[in-house]
Amino acid sequence: FLWRLFQVYLDIYLCVTFALPLSHSGQCPRKFDCRSREKETFSCWWEPGSDGGLPTEYRLFYTQERLREVRECPDYVSAGANSCFFDKKHTSIWAEYTMTVVATNALGNASEEFRITDVMEYVKPDPPVNVTVVVNSSAPSPFLEIRWKSPPDVDVRTGWVTLKYELRVKQNDSKEWKTVDIGSETFFNFYNVYPGLLYMAQVRCKLDHGKWSEWSNTIFAEIPKNHQVEKYFWIFVFVFSLIPLLMGIYILLLKRNVVKQCLLPPVPGPKIKGLNAHLLKSGRSEDVVNALMGNQNFPPVAAWTEQVEDFLLVSDSDEWLLTDSFASEKKKDIFIIPAGLHLGLEIQCRDLSVDLNTWEKTDDSKEEAKSNFLNTEPINLPVEKHEFLNGEEMSIQPLANTSYVDIQQHPTLTDYSRVKEVNDNTILILNEEEIPHGLDAEEVKSEVSVPDDYSRVKEVNSDVVFLEKGDSTDGCCKKKEDHYTDWTNQNKGFCLKMIASGYVDSGPAFSVK
Amino acid sequence: MQTHTRTQHTHTHTHTFILLPCLLRPAPVVYLVAMCRAVPVNDLLDRASQRSDKMHSLSTLLTQEMDSHFPPYGRMQMPRPADCHTSALQTPNDKEQALQVSESDLMSLARSLLQAWVDPLAVLSTSAITLPHPSKSSISSKIQELQEHSKSLADGLDILSGKMGPSAQAISFLPYTGGTDLGQDRVTILNKFNFLLSCLRRDSHKIDSFLKVLRCRAAKLQPELC
Repeated sequence: FLWRLFQVYLDIYLCVTFALPLSHSGQCPRKFDCRSREKETFSCWWEPGSDGGLPTEYRLFYTQERLREVRECPDYVSAGANSCFFDKKHTSIWAEYTMTVVATNALGNASEEFRITDVMEYVKPDPPVNVTVVVNSSAPSPFLEIRWKSPPDVDVRTGWVTLKYELRVKQNDSKEWKTVDIGSETFFNFYNVYPGLLYMAQVRCKLDHGKWSEWSNTIFAEIPKNHQVEKYFWIFVFVFSLIPLLMGIYILLLKRNVVKQCLLPPVPGPKIKGLNAHLLKSGRSEDVVNALMGNQNFPPVAAWTEQVEDFLLVSDSDEWLLTDSFASEKKKDIFIIPAGLHLGLEIQCRDLSVDLNTWEKTDDSKEEAKSNFLNTEPINLPVEKHEFLNGEEMSIQPLANTSYVDIQQHPTLTDYSRVKEVNDNTILILNEEEIPHGLDAEEVKSEVSVPDDYSRVKEVNSDVVFLEKGDSTDGCCKKKEDHYTDWTNQNKGFCLKMIASGYVDSGPAFSVK
Repeated sequence: MQTHTRTQHTHTHTHTFILLPCLLRPAPVVYLVAMCRAVPVNDLLDRASQRSDKMHSLSTLLTQEMDSHFPPYGRMQMPRPADCHTSALQTPNDKEQALQVSESDLMSLARSLLQAWVDPLAVLSTSAITLPHPSKSSISSKIQELQEHSKSLADGLDILSGKMGPSAQAISFLPYTGGTDLGQDRVTILNKFNFLLSCLRRDSHKIDSFLKVLRCRAAKLQPELC
């Protein structure tokens, strides 16, 4: 564009410079412009210079690129004053025109040359016509149907001309246009509209990549407010919000028990620990007793006679110190071998020689010890089983150095007649009236009747129960193996081998002679 | 660009079908159908005219971009359009003439013009890189794009013309004699560049117009293609 302007000014300069001496009237045409509306005809206009009041005649002569001859403008009238209209016969596209406008008046004449490189450079169509807009209110949202027609003088049926359109739409009170590039179609559906607003639209066109036309007339359209859509919308929202509500109620119904428990937790009634109130209600005597005393399940007593006569060996001599190999033996069989009696049971001890004599000697001391023992607190029995033989107590106390287990007190322990009851796994309940030597039957009994009170149980190993004294520190917390070894340390002449799966039967009869 | 909605080409159309890229010579219909899809001539012409439209658009933009920084040289001294190397070719200059030219001749003219610009485009492309112009990178990319479009359009028109007869395949030889060098000084270079671009714009518009007339003429049953 600047280049064209430069050209114009150059022409004017040339005209003024060279023509002025020829004519004092300053008649040079100052402006020259052309336009083609449809690529078939074109017109050119010039602006007359100041003519000084004298009537001036303007004539246009032109040559074409291919034509050697000079022709005069065919039509001075159709395009208005100071114009030249070239009709179809005189219009050549892609050809250069050299126009010469000659101004003649009484004083002389002046001419001006203008060059038109290509008529295509001056193509500018008329705007589109018959622009219509219809509001289409169909669901889901309204839109504008905009239609138009091509400019009337443009021939679009032969392919000689290609029109492209551009549409712009804006709200009435907005300042920004929304522009849409449309190809060669003559309609468009504009969707970006909202109910209740007024819109305006314009269309323009362009021919063969030339200049854009002016904008067409503005058309207006108002989108009606759609209350029905809003109503449907609220109905829709309402229905959808009902669904989770119904689901919630349904779930509550399904889980009403849970809800009831949550909201109205049952008030606990008074409860006595260990007292089973239901048994009281039933009214039966045994039930009442059970309720008051608790449900005690005494383990069934098996006939011990069926069992292998295993003897518990108790010794506090170092000879019976067992190696680690014994302790580490996985299978721990506890069996009792009476002094001097080998029942064919395996003894894995280092020293099998039971020093019975020494043992006997200590018998006296044992008596003391026994009394000591008796006076002591309830026994700390880390060994899994403690057995009480008839008339004897054999509490295995591997812990205290001073304590030891009295092995036997009566030679009459070969008979098992004193055994009242043998607990199949662990406990032998003594026959109390035959316990001599001032053994406190009750004490024994009480010590025997361990199963009533398991509060001192330290450890339960499959079949075996460890009893534990209150808070002894001497190895109460030792491992089982340690217990065994300690225990055997302190006992003379006896080996102990724990039977892991079995039990220590209180072989009531071993006699130390 | 063209945004025509294509309707299916009916079989009542009398124009020949062209198979691309399967075969270049006629063959039994059954065999053709089995081999590949037949592309109707209208479709090919539409594609060709779209490409020529793009070329014309690019060349118009190029001249506008060049003019934004106008050469400090009088227009009178600029070479005239008659000096374009393709001006010797006789082409229709208005609608009536264009509508009277046969289809084969229109195709031949388009192909001749296209062929004539292969070398000058190469010269323009190399010169654009070192053009003393502020928008030379944009200009250079547009010229490269022009070259690509020109090449593919030439290939397409070769195939199309093969179906239209020997007169469509005749190409007028329009050699470019401007040489590879546009000049030595800045002003000369810019002027020559400007001049070549204006010639290119004119010729690309000619090609575009001819092909669009051809397209409209071939699609008599589909007036929306015009």
